[in-house]
Amino acid sequence: MLGYALNHLVNNLSVKYMPSDRLSSTLFALSDPTRRGILARLATGNATVGELAKPYDMSLAAVSKHLKVLETAGLISRGRESQWRPCHLEAAPLRDVFEWLEGYRRFWDRSLDSLADYLKVMQRRAPRK
Amino acid sequence: MTTAIDTGSPSEPIIVITRIFDAARQLVWRAITDPKHVSQWYGGQGFTNPVCEMDVRPGGLWRHIMQAPNGAQFTINCVFVEVVEPERLVWRTVKDEKRQPAPPAAVHTITLEEYGKQTKWTLVARFDSLEDRDITARMGFGAMIGQGLERMAEYLKAL
Repeated sequence: MLGYALNHLVNNLSVKYMPSDRLSSTLFALSDPTRRGILARLATGNATVGELAKPYDMSLAAVSKHLKVLETAGLISRGRESQWRPCHLEAAPLRDVFEWLEGYRRFWDRSLDSLADYLKVMQRRAPRK
Repeated sequence: MTTAIDTGSPSEPIIVITRIFDAARQLVWRAITDPKHVSQWYGGQGFTNPVCEMDVRPGGLWRHIMQAPNGAQFTINCVFVEVVEPERLVWRTVKDEKRQPAPPAAVHTITLEEYGKQTKWTLVARFDSLEDRDITARMGFGAMIGQGLERMAEYLKAL
């Protein structure tokens, strides 16, 4: 488990570090609950704008804006050939960002575990500074 | 460790990490601002920090080299932005243009709050490069990273 976490961190710190603009655009795209809902729906299969709009109390235009954000971030692609342009989930950038986030979180998780231990050491020393 | 959801509505992506420590705030502050202490915990178990030089004042540099258990070294250069003892420390990672692809630059803000005899740590990381995306300007959505992502990860596993 630890070995896995370390590999993960090393990968994340070197090769797998995404260009910052890509990371940012993916994080931004994921920052909205509606967009996450849309991605979750698309994980079960392709869907049209109308189908994606159904669970939400918003206009097709508003949903289309969300789709534009997701498309710009490379998280979805849309059919060109048909009038309904069904949306398709592109999982690779999502996996990248999850991997990156996991690595980031593990880094701080480990660091803060160590900090908690180290604070105890400092407390024991504290009386004599 | 919790990765909390931010319920505000910043137009930037942020990551929030919170933790409660069984220690006085002043002690936690010393542990995160004195390089002699930082080098003892930064990176976690198995990691060492052969270089840790901190000039803790606005504009001051934090030069850091972290070494992984496999010997790989990582240079992390930061600039302190705000220093409010003992409650707030803000630094910005300096983009290393020599490294391609460059790691994402971020502004990190640590806030320390007193919780009785404990101290609550909140780290907020804000990532750069959104300002040049006009889409952001047009759509000022709140940024939330956390449980929502974990749920998404579950969905992804099913793909």
